Amino acid sequence: MSLLAMNDVSLSFGGVKAVQDVSFSVEKGEVFSIIGPNGAGKSTLFNLISRLYDCESGQIFWQGEEITSVPSHRIAELGIARTFQNTELFEHETVLRNLLIGKHIHRRSNAVADMFFLPSVRRQELVFRKEVEDVIDLLNLQHYRDQVIANLPYGVRKMVEVARALCIQPKAVLLDEPSSGLNPEETEDVSFWIEDINEELGATVIMVEHDMKLVSQVSDRVLALADGQVLATGTPPEIQQHPEVLRAYLGDAE
Amino acid sequence: MRFVQKTSYDQDIRFFEHRGQVFWYGLLALAVLIAPLFIERFYLGELSLVFIYAIAGIGLMLLVGYTGLVSLGHAAFLAIGAYSQAWLMNQGVPFPLTLPLSGFITAAVGALVGIPALRMTGIYLAVATLAFAIIVEQVIIHWPAVTGGFTGMVVPRARIELINLDLQQPIAFYYLCLAILVGCLLIAMNLLRSPTGRAFRAIRDSEISAQSLGIHLSSTKTLAFALSAGFTGVAGSLFAHKLGYLAPDSFTIQTSILLLLMVVVGGVGSLHGIIYGALFIGFLPQMLAVARDLLPVGIAQMPGLEPALFGLILILVLIYEPLGIYGRWLKIRSYFEQFPLYRRATHKRQKSYLRTERLR
Amino acid sequence: MEVLQLLVSGVSQGCVYGLIALGFVLIYKATEMVNFAQGEIMMLGAFVAFTFANLLGWPFWMAVIMTLLVMAAFGALTERLILRPMIGEPPFSVLMLTIGMGYVLRAGAGAIWGNEPRTLTTPYSGGIVDLGGVIIGYENIVIIVGTAVLCLVLFLFFRYSRVGIAMQATSQNQLAAYYMGIPVKRIYSLVWALSAGIAATAGILVAPVALVDPLMGFIGIKAFAAAIVGGFGSLPGAILGGIIIGVVEQFAALYLPPGFSETSAYVILLVMLLVRPEGLFATMLQKKV
Repeated sequence: MSLLAMNDVSLSFGGVKAVQDVSFSVEKGEVFSIIGPNGAGKSTLFNLISRLYDCESGQIFWQGEEITSVPSHRIAELGIARTFQNTELFEHETVLRNLLIGKHIHRRSNAVADMFFLPSVRRQELVFRKEVEDVIDLLNLQHYRDQVIANLPYGVRKMVEVARALCIQPKAVLLDEPSSGLNPEETEDVSFWIEDINEELGATVIMVEHDMKLVSQVSDRVLALADGQVLATGTPPEIQQHPEVLRAYLGDAE
Repeated sequence: MRFVQKTSYDQDIRFFEHRGQVFWYGLLALAVLIAPLFIERFYLGELSLVFIYAIAGIGLMLLVGYTGLVSLGHAAFLAIGAYSQAWLMNQGVPFPLTLPLSGFITAAVGALVGIPALRMTGIYLAVATLAFAIIVEQVIIHWPAVTGGFTGMVVPRARIELINLDLQQPIAFYYLCLAILVGCLLIAMNLLRSPTGRAFRAIRDSEISAQSLGIHLSSTKTLAFALSAGFTGVAGSLFAHKLGYLAPDSFTIQTSILLLLMVVVGGVGSLHGIIYGALFIGFLPQMLAVARDLLPVGIAQMPGLEPALFGLILILVLIYEPLGIYGRWLKIRSYFEQFPLYRRATHKRQKSYLRTERLR
Repeated sequence: MEVLQLLVSGVSQGCVYGLIALGFVLIYKATEMVNFAQGEIMMLGAFVAFTFANLLGWPFWMAVIMTLLVMAAFGALTERLILRPMIGEPPFSVLMLTIGMGYVLRAGAGAIWGNEPRTLTTPYSGGIVDLGGVIIGYENIVIIVGTAVLCLVLFLFFRYSRVGIAMQATSQNQLAAYYMGIPVKRIYSLVWALSAGIAATAGILVAPVALVDPLMGFIGIKAFAAAIVGGFGSLPGAILGGIIIGVVEQFAALYLPPGFSETSAYVILLVMLLVRPEGLFATMLQKKV
């Protein structure tokens, strides 16, 4: 049984078919990359998985259970965390508080207990804080802990967003273009922490990425997408040699 | 500048960051507690009113400043709190019960209004709450059996029979308002340092992110709306006793705007701001009276001077000090802390192009 | 007959709501700012027209043209001096700012023209048409015809003129419009001028049948409801929403107990938000990630 599977999923915006009969499956523990030219429907796939969009047809399965019509806010509870292409952080809050919000699904207190900050709430806060500090250590964000997001450089924001996703303690992390907007040095780091997430935390990584060097460095399997359709799936070398992919994707670039 | 060395995570949870804060807030508490010994009756009454405004302000601030939802109709919740207080007391419910009850009633109405209104955001919600407030105003006018209609209704005196305590004595009322304000502040501060408050802030800054982190948007927004209405309702019931007589014209759109003015002038997004804002609107009439004496007769006698100044203050604050009095205070403080190294640019606002919320 | 009579007066009142709503929508579409002082700008337009036509005794057509020019200049100036510094600030701040502007304008009008109600007399004041028992005042006809003409002019303006197309482009994507060489800031000023001009037209049209006083701008709130009923962001929707509210109000006043007429606009609004939150003509869309 695959961790995540999409089965003939389609979605169109107006007349444009953003995603057309896409099927693929991701196994537990993989690093799975989705590549494709701009407008191929990569981010749309993510938005479908995190249920921001509804599928027009087809099904999505998570650990064998259908999640095609699970409401969006339940996705995190299932263990799926994500980042966004242009970062969607809580701009007016500190890094620490952003990460604590990532612990939301683990809360056991209700609003009434919160109002009086009962001892159980305090204990819960301390546990959350400890776990958040572990993530901060993993991604080396100690320096920025108390800074407000709006004052941070773009590269750091991207890291904070990854950290926030990790606070969910997810089974799978969806990374939407982790290296976009980063300098070569930072991109180098990306491959290291993707391996950390995959190996140390045991999370499955699904990412949309343009940087082929990064993709071939870290991915176990790659899915190539063009015009909303699957071109090929395979190991990075296979995909790089695949004639269809070369024509649709790399051919465009050269 | 003070650097605090942190040795435990608990330090980030506590209300006070360091000893200095404990000292200054303690001093403030002491001053407020012994104030009735020194202050004239009249100003004591005004201070009680300030406390009442502040309680309503906490409610509005939770909504506007922390959840990012705008309500142009909070006077309606003030009215519902006030009228349910008066009605419950007329039914013979003892005072200590009516206060929380009318808070609950208002919160329930808030939740009820919130459920449909919260499917939308921004301007839709603002106008929906405005519509709600206008409807409530008309209901009050056209439902004399409960509200006394146009003529209004007398609010029974707040007493605790058991110990024969008349809470409407100026000093007793002052302490009553103070105690409830402190209670409300503590609840608000607790909420803000716990998961519930964080969910509010998350929704304010990015709904999509909040959703993808497992926050249920509409139930969290409804909760924020209900809590906000509840605080305002409690303020309303105290307001009823402060007025002594309820009539529909005490709860108009102007009142809603006055409450928003308090939030804006004090400083959006801080509980400190609420206190500053409440002091500001509480003593606005006195300040205007003083201003009238100083201004040339032609301007001072002009009809509609008060609303004009009201609007002018709003405009000037929003353009020149969007963070309100609290924001200004932070700047002054950092000026002195960093003297003589303060640079104006430290607090310079970043100008950005419009960040649109619309999908193209 | 009674029904027709009510319908006509409802439509003419609704046209006024619709015109004010049009101003809201124009500004919102182009700048994503919400101008809560739109009703007050209409009030100001009515007073300016009253000053030119009745106090100074100018010929009516000249007074109308001058009013439109003065108010358009006023709109552009407001944008330049008060709204320009707010670009990039949260929508809540802009909303509060325009509410503050409303206060200042009301008080200012009271200081200049006094608080007692006036009436604008026009060359067509007082005339009536009898259409088989349905009696329609010239003023109402002028309101309806005037609104229709204005809508046609606006349609042609947005469809064919360079400035109109630039405004549309700006409202669709500010940054892209900027890159295409459209002076976005100047477009902002123009949008404000245009919307103030439309509000002034509404003021001139309604002034002969309504009392001109500083508080008349409060009907802006009903216009707001109209804009939302129509689907905030749709120009024909704004007019249609206004007409719906105007008509329902007239019928509620006659057939329902007191209190319903005053609130009917808001009840329609709340029902609309419950049933079809995107309005009659949906244009609002979700944010993209």
